[in-house]
Amino acid sequence: MHKTLRITVFLTAVVFLLGVLLAGGVFAQEQTLTFAWIPKALDNPVFELGRDGAFVKAQELTETTDYTVEIIYIGSVASDAAEQSRVVEDVIARGVDGIGISCNDPDALIDVINKAVEAGIPVMTWDSDAPDSERFTYLGVSNYDGGVAAAELLVRFMGEEGDVALLTGVPGAFNLEERIRGFRDGVADYPGIEIVTTVACYDDIATGVQVVEETMLAYPDLDGWFFVGLWPLFADRGSMPLWEEAAASGDMKVVAFDTLPVQLEYMKDGLLVGLVGQKYWGWGYDTIQMLFDYIVHDAAFPDWTDSGMDIVTMYNVDAMIEAWETSDFTKPLPPPFPED
Amino acid sequence: MEPDKPFSPEEDPARFQKEGALTRFARNQLATLALILLAMVVVLSLSTRTFLTATNIFNVLRAFSWIAIASFGQSIVIISGGIDLSAGSNMAFSGIITAMLLVEGVNVPLSIGAGLGITLLIGFANGLMISKTKLPPFIATLGMMSIVRGFCYGMTQGWPVRGLPRSFIALGQTDLSFFIWRVPVPAIIMVCFAVLVYILLDKTKLGYHTYAVGGNEYAASLAGIFTGKVKNIAFTLSGFLAGVGGILMTARLGVAAPTAASGYELDIIAAAVIGGISLTGGEGNVWGALIGAAIMQILRNALVLLGFPAYWQPAAIGAVIIGAVMIDMYRKKSI
Repeated sequence: MHKTLRITVFLTAVVFLLGVLLAGGVFAQEQTLTFAWIPKALDNPVFELGRDGAFVKAQELTETTDYTVEIIYIGSVASDAAEQSRVVEDVIARGVDGIGISCNDPDALIDVINKAVEAGIPVMTWDSDAPDSERFTYLGVSNYDGGVAAAELLVRFMGEEGDVALLTGVPGAFNLEERIRGFRDGVADYPGIEIVTTVACYDDIATGVQVVEETMLAYPDLDGWFFVGLWPLFADRGSMPLWEEAAASGDMKVVAFDTLPVQLEYMKDGLLVGLVGQKYWGWGYDTIQMLFDYIVHDAAFPDWTDSGMDIVTMYNVDAMIEAWETSDFTKPLPPPFPED
Repeated sequence: MEPDKPFSPEEDPARFQKEGALTRFARNQLATLALILLAMVVVLSLSTRTFLTATNIFNVLRAFSWIAIASFGQSIVIISGGIDLSAGSNMAFSGIITAMLLVEGVNVPLSIGAGLGITLLIGFANGLMISKTKLPPFIATLGMMSIVRGFCYGMTQGWPVRGLPRSFIALGQTDLSFFIWRVPVPAIIMVCFAVLVYILLDKTKLGYHTYAVGGNEYAASLAGIFTGKVKNIAFTLSGFLAGVGGILMTARLGVAAPTAASGYELDIIAAAVIGGISLTGGEGNVWGALIGAAIMQILRNALVLLGFPAYWQPAAIGAVIIGAVMIDMYRKKSI
């Protein structure tokens, strides 16, 4: 008797639970679109900006369309392809309507991306691609072109000759190597420009500050720098006295990748002359729009969607600062060289 | 149960004599290390025109000061027979706690106190896990490394904490006049802590106990030493000293990044090991750790000054770590 009662209660509970789950599922399918937005890592501030863009777009779509768009922001803490694959599998198991991902490795993620597509979840890549997977498009820039743009900026400010040093993060990181390759090709046309040294900081701010100062000691007459990322610029004023002095004197010109507020401050103070940045905010904002269009409007996208680059100089730095202050990156940036 | 009173040098002349021999041994070991360091300095002074400038020397001193300070704490732990993998995370965490409080407008001493207090507690928690639940130090501190790093990311949401007051940054960026030189404050603090840790390890009962526990834990406990208490203190000090290093690093950079000091635990351990502190415990001293940290930083500095290709630098650093320890072992065998 007791046993029968227990079984009855158990069965009722199971049926009830199943009912709730099924109803929830049906409800979700009709009203809600859930997109997983997966960065390379959670420990990099630029991805936070992309995430904000994704949430803003989700809010806009929820307000202006019949759909409620929800974002799942999830990723591995550090950049790690294996861990990221696991995250994607979790997302597939959880069941979402679309995935936007920045891949830690072009090949390692192919399998899970294809699994998601097989499970009926469209996937697009942003920032960092997995070209051989079944993703429907890639939104990003060519890092090589970014390196070429940085070289053009430096030549413009420094002139067609001079000794130049390069600061990179982890040697061998694909995006950084591409930027360096672009930069080298960009200055190759000017025989007067010599890249005297390349130093690495292993993505560490303290090491970055240290190697920049050491390079300034080793090459006191340096004419230019290309920071392939912004690492040492996260440190506050006064941490690189030799570099600051040379940059402030105007005899040494510095161009850098990325356009974060800390760098814009350095530019306002005349220590940086040119910045080349990706549209971080668009990584989220545009990706969510593209996923939405792909699913709801069956929109077609080319294999590669160019997200464009921001070129920031003293002529348009104020507009960039305003965009950061208002968190509104929707307005186009004024030209970096108005006289052109 | 009241344990036997631990013996002091006066009560046990035989042991004292042995300690004396050990100390002499350590001095020899230091001489070898100092020789390696000197050789590096001479070669670099001759081969570059920038190495032996006051700017560069103090630049190097400042850069390894926080690694060295954390390495002093690590040395105490390793001498007691443990290892502390959470040192790098602790460095980042003390900086973040201090920076976050500073940004909220809390005054400098209180913020630093909170930053140090929290890493002291983390060290104490490490000690408790290891002494009470008998977790292997490698596992306990590996877990703690991840927990603390998670707090670094979580509390900052991934963003570096900036906009710190000048009065705090001065701690890492000011140079004090010392005869004809202007010596960076972190380097002076490093020397102060080296002396304090030296006194602790060499001149106090606790120091003797630390060597005893690391040398042979079972024998130490039979001799009436509270081995758990010794380990607890060792890990607490390691947490605290990593915190000191982290705060100096944050003050020098003017920014507390959640990714700061990632992987530094290996540099910190390497500095101690290069300095002749045996990973099996019970052997070595704080000056070795200081010289070990100096060798590592001078090597990095040299590779940049000499224009050594960035891609090959990790290989050079690895070779020097192995080389330095091998020279030390060879010397031990040959004597």
